[in-house]
Amino acid sequence: MVKLSAKCIVAGDTTVGKSTLVQLFRSDGSHFPKNYSMTTSMEVSVKNVQIPDTGDSVELFLCDSPGKAIFYEVTEKLWDQPGALCLVFDVTNESSFSSCAKWLQRVRAKTFSPQLPGVLVGNKTDMAGRRAVERGQAEEWAASNGLEYFETSAKELENFEQPFQALAKAFHHLYQERVENFRSLM
Amino acid sequence: MTRAGDLCLSCAGARVTLATSSDDRHPADNIIDGNPDTFWTTTGMYPQEFIISLNGIQKINKIILQSSLVRSVRIESSTSKEPVNFELRLERDLENTEGHLQYEEFTLPGVQVAHMRFVILSGFDHFVSVHRVSAEGDK
Repeated sequence: MVKLSAKCIVAGDTTVGKSTLVQLFRSDGSHFPKNYSMTTSMEVSVKNVQIPDTGDSVELFLCDSPGKAIFYEVTEKLWDQPGALCLVFDVTNESSFSSCAKWLQRVRAKTFSPQLPGVLVGNKTDMAGRRAVERGQAEEWAASNGLEYFETSAKELENFEQPFQALAKAFHHLYQERVENFRSLM
Repeated sequence: MTRAGDLCLSCAGARVTLATSSDDRHPADNIIDGNPDTFWTTTGMYPQEFIISLNGIQKINKIILQSSLVRSVRIESSTSKEPVNFELRLERDLENTEGHLQYEEFTLPGVQVAHMRFVILSGFDHFVSVHRVSAEGDK
């Protein structure tokens, strides 16, 4: 039995719902912040995720990061050696989707590891009438960048757990692979 | 002159008194069991550290670290009775050796130590392994 720890960077443009997703996941869906409050410095929430069919778990240190450009310089210093990435955009906001490439590159630049488990999350699917980014388009971009794609509606409490569970699972899988490698070293 | 013995062995009275990661399957005691096939793994995030307490105060000449994926390490030592009051000995960046163990020698001529603290500051991946630490003296 092992308890792993992963520093999980939650990144994306401002107002896409990063903090709401983190708060929902951390509180098992009981805390939905109704009013907007801009995140101005990195806020860390810790959440333990059980890995099914093993006695193992992954403690995610969710680093909710400000999306607004003026806070980036400070945030970036706190992103050293990330273990996982949760990239969030708003499906009704095209430019928040195109920014994902920039956020991905910024976080990847902070790791020495060849692999960084990552998910792309399209949030606010409840606003179906205003959708500006199609699922297929997002899925395609995610796949070409080695990310798993999820759609969520934090407001409707839909799917908010899946992206984080997928990250924990991917991190656990990497650990098992590594340990196998360690065994074969001479 | 008699050949120096390895002071970092459980059978020589050494103990791992702290490790910041623990997987039951790869415990920190594997670092001092004398067998490079067994290892301790870190379980995510940096820094990570472990402390080896020797059998009393010993004079050492060098430390050998066998590991994998360690990118930078800091070694500190203490002569206190308890593992406290550590002093910085050295800090070093290691090469990534794919497919085999990192074998790193640290020369510390005639240094008195009771406890050695190894801080792994960064790794080449999310996890690193430490297979063996040995310290040779000149008893």
